[in-house]
Amino acid sequence: MNGWDELARLSLEHFALVGAALAIALALGLPLAVLLTRHARARRATLAAVNVVQTIPSLALFGVLLPIPLIGGVGKRSAIVVLALYALLPIMRNAVVAIVGVDRGVRDSALAMGMTPRQILRRVEIPLALPTILAGIRIATVATIGTATIAAAIGGGGLGTYIFRGIATADLSTVLAGAVPAALMAIVMDEVMEWTERRFSY
Amino acid sequence: MLAGIDLTLERGETLVLLGASGVGKTTLLRMTNRLVEPSAGEIRFDGKPLRDWDPIALRRRMGYVIQDGGLFPHLSVARNVGLVPELEGWPAQRIAARVDELLDRVGLEPAQYRARRPRELSGGEKQRVGIARALAADPPVLLLDEPFAALDPVTRFEMQRQFRALQQALDKTVLFVTHDLREALALGTRIALLAHGRIDTLGTPREFRAARSAQALAFLRTLEEQAA
Amino acid sequence: MDRASFLVLILCAALAACSAPRPAIVVGSKNFTEQVILGEIVAAQIERRLGVPVERKLNLGGTLLAHEALRSGAIDLYPEYTGTALTQILRRPIERDAETVRRAVADGYRPWHIAWLAPLGFNDTFAMVVLAARAREHGVHTLSDAARQSWKLGVGYEFTQRPDGLKGLVATYGLRLDGDPVTMDLGLLYAALRTNAIDMAAANATDGMLGRDEFLVLDDDRHYFPPYECAIALRDDTAQRFPGLEAALRALSGKIDDAAMRRMNAQVDVEHRAPAEVAREFVQGLE
Repeated sequence: MNGWDELARLSLEHFALVGAALAIALALGLPLAVLLTRHARARRATLAAVNVVQTIPSLALFGVLLPIPLIGGVGKRSAIVVLALYALLPIMRNAVVAIVGVDRGVRDSALAMGMTPRQILRRVEIPLALPTILAGIRIATVATIGTATIAAAIGGGGLGTYIFRGIATADLSTVLAGAVPAALMAIVMDEVMEWTERRFSY
Repeated sequence: MLAGIDLTLERGETLVLLGASGVGKTTLLRMTNRLVEPSAGEIRFDGKPLRDWDPIALRRRMGYVIQDGGLFPHLSVARNVGLVPELEGWPAQRIAARVDELLDRVGLEPAQYRARRPRELSGGEKQRVGIARALAADPPVLLLDEPFAALDPVTRFEMQRQFRALQQALDKTVLFVTHDLREALALGTRIALLAHGRIDTLGTPREFRAARSAQALAFLRTLEEQAA
Repeated sequence: MDRASFLVLILCAALAACSAPRPAIVVGSKNFTEQVILGEIVAAQIERRLGVPVERKLNLGGTLLAHEALRSGAIDLYPEYTGTALTQILRRPIERDAETVRRAVADGYRPWHIAWLAPLGFNDTFAMVVLAARAREHGVHTLSDAARQSWKLGVGYEFTQRPDGLKGLVATYGLRLDGDPVTMDLGLLYAALRTNAIDMAAANATDGMLGRDEFLVLDDDRHYFPPYECAIALRDDTAQRFPGLEAALRALSGKIDDAAMRRMNAQVDVEHRAPAEVAREFVQGLE
């Protein structure tokens, strides 16, 4: 096998794919989720739409995006777009449920205290929703690490490269060279995020 | 639901809104700080119609205590109590001093309770913190919605006693909602009995004991049963 | 369970056992367009000539995977390339002469009781492809020319590991790469060239896309790549079980030249027709 530097390079590539996808999903998903907590009708429609995206098999979504200019095509960019789309649902759904589910008495008291809607969001809703939001991010992270292995099929790189190569050459050790680091990455991230959740729980 | 309510609250009095569950006493209370808007009629505070008040400014003038306390679970007792002063922009030292003062006043040792989290408190302790929080910015008005209903009888009795002490020490105008006549008689300077969306009986505790309306009698009977 | 239900259960089990006949012949293929078309052609030919049921196990995920399937009997035959069999499966050093390669492969497969039929007629060698415009711009026509600059190379899953792949190419031509090769599904290489995600692709000489002027195959002037004549690898026991099979398959030998293969590939990749349909047309045209 080609040695440790290829493994290091592909692992870093994988990590970067996941990181970029999560960053986009968070940047889009969290503000959108907050907006949706204010509009019940839009909420149902939007979450349903995001849910539909999730049901599309990841390989198919990669394929669908290929011919689209700008965000599609071969390479890291379309891989990141697909991964970000997949990460949206767990992040958004958890955020919405958590914020909407803030205890009525607490929300009532906040209102009665003369807090503006913005103050309620910042001081009450988000801090209380945080553990659940973090759980959603944790789920999204672990899932994205797994789905990112498919990026190799469209020139996105990452540990999937080993997996596909190993399958093509019927070489189990190469497959494992891709699968094991990915699994380890997922386990480590899961632990780290769980620790973070605990820190913010009340 | 409510129709034909005509009520004036005097400064410094404790008016108890008494009535069976669902009669609309909580709704009436929540109209006072504009958490609920009436469909018709007018409410005035300090001579100005509520409609003309900025809701935020209005609510800062009224402390609000609910049944489960409504304490923020992610904040310490001290930060809970100091919330409105913090919103009002008080300097940190003044807030800290005020928090200690209030915790003391509601019978909670500041050194012990300051750093605790709501989940570590008993029901009675939570209510005390809730009351301290409501008093923090020294609002002229206090709104309480069945604050002691979820407590066990012994704690409830103790809390009522403490509240009476507070009433005497501070000069607040209080609107207090309850379905317990005993509590009403103990704490109110006047009692307004609500039934069928109107005020059935209005008067001081003594006047109430002498009331003869069907509703009033129904409530008064509960006293006798318990005595026996 | 009462007697009636029990009888129904037995009946169903019996029916199920009867209605799953073992397919007579299992045809395999690897997982790119050309292979799928060839698999369909072979299957169609067998069905026409012998009239026996054929099961298709196409799109197997790689050379060694397909080979394992053949060796174990999971498939009875599949189209393979002589050069690939020599270097990747038999792990023998590269030979340049087509006849030598053919013989070496036939010998090498004998212990496995697998026969190599006469080649179909085309040579699907590796093709290092660039955009024709860029080739003109830099005056690059051969792989020796290409050594003058560095290239962002796009490859399929096997190229970097194969003994007849990247390493030997770089050694023979002193080819310089701009960064590590970008791995992707073979079908995406041309799209990647067009969008400049890569500027050279390790594609195949008979790819449908190469029919267009857009792309140019750099000439292998030092003859690095071995010949990759396509032929059918067939299990001996299957040939014995079906007397007419070999004859039916031999009828395909020499019938598909480079241009014909490329045309059929284009019909699928560019015109988006179904491989089975393209295959059927070809087989009907044979008569």
